[in-house]
Amino acid sequence: MTTQDPRADDRYSRQTRFVGVGHEGQRRIGAGRVLVVGCGGLGTVLVNLLVRSGVGHITVVDRDIVEMSNLQRQLLFEEADARAGVPKAVAAAAAAARINSSVEVRPVVADVTPDNVEELVASADLVLDATDNLQTRYLLNDACVKLGIPWIYGGAVGSTGMSLTVIPGDTACLRCLSPTPPASGTTATCATVGVLASAVAIVSSIQWTEAIKLLVGDRDHLNRTMLYLDVWSNDFQQGEPLTPSPDCPCCGQRRFDFLESTATSSTTTLCGRNAVQVSPGRARTLDLGDLARRLDGVGVVSTTPFMLRLEAGGHELTVFADGRAIIKGTDDMALARSLYSRYVGD
Amino acid sequence: MSGIDVIYLDNAATSFPKPPEVAEAILEFLTHKAGNPGRSGHSLAVAADAVVAETRRSLASLLGVRDPSRLVFTLNGTAALNLAMYGLLRPGDRVVTTSMEHNSVARPLFALAERGVDVIWLPCAQDGSLDLEDLDRALRAAPTRLVAMTHASNVCGTILPIGAAAELAHRHGALLLVDAAQTAGVLPIDVTEQSIDLLAFPGHKGLLGPTGTGALYVAPGVHLTPMQQGGTGTHSELLSQPDELPFALEAGTVNTVGIAGLSAALRVLKATGIEAVRAREASLVERLLEGLQEIRGVTVHGPLDSAQRVAVVSVILHGWEPVDVGAALDSAFGIAVRPGLHCAPLAHRTLGTFPLGTVRLAPGYSTTDDEIDQALVALRELSLSAG
Repeated sequence: MTTQDPRADDRYSRQTRFVGVGHEGQRRIGAGRVLVVGCGGLGTVLVNLLVRSGVGHITVVDRDIVEMSNLQRQLLFEEADARAGVPKAVAAAAAAARINSSVEVRPVVADVTPDNVEELVASADLVLDATDNLQTRYLLNDACVKLGIPWIYGGAVGSTGMSLTVIPGDTACLRCLSPTPPASGTTATCATVGVLASAVAIVSSIQWTEAIKLLVGDRDHLNRTMLYLDVWSNDFQQGEPLTPSPDCPCCGQRRFDFLESTATSSTTTLCGRNAVQVSPGRARTLDLGDLARRLDGVGVVSTTPFMLRLEAGGHELTVFADGRAIIKGTDDMALARSLYSRYVGD
Repeated sequence: MSGIDVIYLDNAATSFPKPPEVAEAILEFLTHKAGNPGRSGHSLAVAADAVVAETRRSLASLLGVRDPSRLVFTLNGTAALNLAMYGLLRPGDRVVTTSMEHNSVARPLFALAERGVDVIWLPCAQDGSLDLEDLDRALRAAPTRLVAMTHASNVCGTILPIGAAAELAHRHGALLLVDAAQTAGVLPIDVTEQSIDLLAFPGHKGLLGPTGTGALYVAPGVHLTPMQQGGTGTHSELLSQPDELPFALEAGTVNTVGIAGLSAALRVLKATGIEAVRAREASLVERLLEGLQEIRGVTVHGPLDSAQRVAVVSVILHGWEPVDVGAALDSAFGIAVRPGLHCAPLAHRTLGTFPLGTVRLAPGYSTTDDEIDQALVALRELSLSAG
């Protein structure tokens, strides 16, 4: 489509003139199918760049809705999206359509789980990780290694960022580097230590560049190392090139523990009409008084010796000391899980 | 006994703990007998066949079934009920049922009504009881093919008069289907004496067996159209499904592993005696009801007389939503109950507890007095702290 349409030619001219892309590269980019998992800081920059560069078929998955606190770094969203509470995937697709009407952006408002990840990944040429948690990344790693689909890890927190390109069978996968993820709640998150927009933008720009190399078919220039940067301390590091570990449980022994695991971070069950119970995936004890202090100002909070009730954003959460919560006013499991992780924490 | 620190009051959903003999029998079956019953003459097939046949006979003797072949194994109570209703009813047939039914009766009938079956819903009283005059009136109104009713409510425990209902149904030329999900293994049932035409029940509740088991009794002279066709190990030369029971309604390999477990459960149950189970549960219910009446802000649904109910007690705690009570009992006291609608929205409408439902406390034979007392203490504490 790009070479036959003179306007399209003009549209991508600065990209096609670049020696690494060219007209054939641009044609391949136009035919490319990319899955973006997560549509927060990394995801919005990725979708923005993918759409502008003419990647033909983009699927973007996210379970959350746009909030004011996103606008500082999530480049596709505006105040109106946050006020209306639009799902991030939907808001991103709408913004993408305004930027480039000749590419297709399919929004999927969902949690990525062992049940849907293979279906999502299977139709993509490559997968871009823009999630905010390691559980999902291990799940993506399993699905991509199983199906032989490249994926590009990206993460940013505070002033730091990391990226890794995983080509199953060719480069190290996530489990080659660390066979098990660190326990949840032990790593810094953007909510606890903040994040600089520049760290997010740099990491996602590197991911986009790796994606374009893969789409045009230039594997020689792929980054085969773990990239680490700190924009505040002016620290940019690149490790040694990484090769697959023969002992890796995933790409070496082809065991897909995260895909087959029934233990996700939490489970949801419908309980009655318009209520969902979210149970934590591990035993935990919540200090309800402490949670009440943390939620002060978020909404209307009340506590009894047995539970804490939060009314916020049209939803009512009843949280119990064993970590479970009953979310009333919805029968949407993904929304319930999202509200749980936002207010109670994973 | 259970090995875990839970006070289990959800026996109406499934009984727990199972007698240890159940797990032992399953292990023994899988280790030594797990052939395909009736499919060959080798020792493992014969051993499996013997287990299935023995369990069928054991169930027959428990329920007053004279011909064990008229007991058809199913995956659960729901499958047995569906087999009965879809196997029997045709467009134009009339069915009389009650407003206390579980969705396993209500949903198939609702679907059949869309296919032209005429379904009459008899409203029950607010304590879940059925007025037999209402049934009589409904049966006089038009020729009726089937009366379908629960033996006891899974929401509030109310026992319905199935013996009298059978008499009325037969007087008006109708058959009686009984959903014995809450009563098989708990109340004495004799299909011959009580003239029950179709009796559907799971194996994993009062019968103390594993999930994946259940059965349908089909009285002599009642013909059901099979819902599925397939291998039976008999008459393999025929392409049509054999007519004789249980094979007509038992296509494919039955759940031999579960049936082996059920067999052991039935041995335990018979050694204990249904009367002893009934007496024990009645005593637990009396203890529970007495204690509940002493807690301010608790409303009990269903009859207060233990003779008129099984061990399924529904309560409302004022100022609390049932779903929150359930979570609080579990998280703060380790007590497992079932809050909500219990898959029986019609019954909750009858009790006036729709749509929030109730908190259901369902003790079982192995529940202790102390566990009932602990549940009462927990409810009293919750009642003092509005949800």
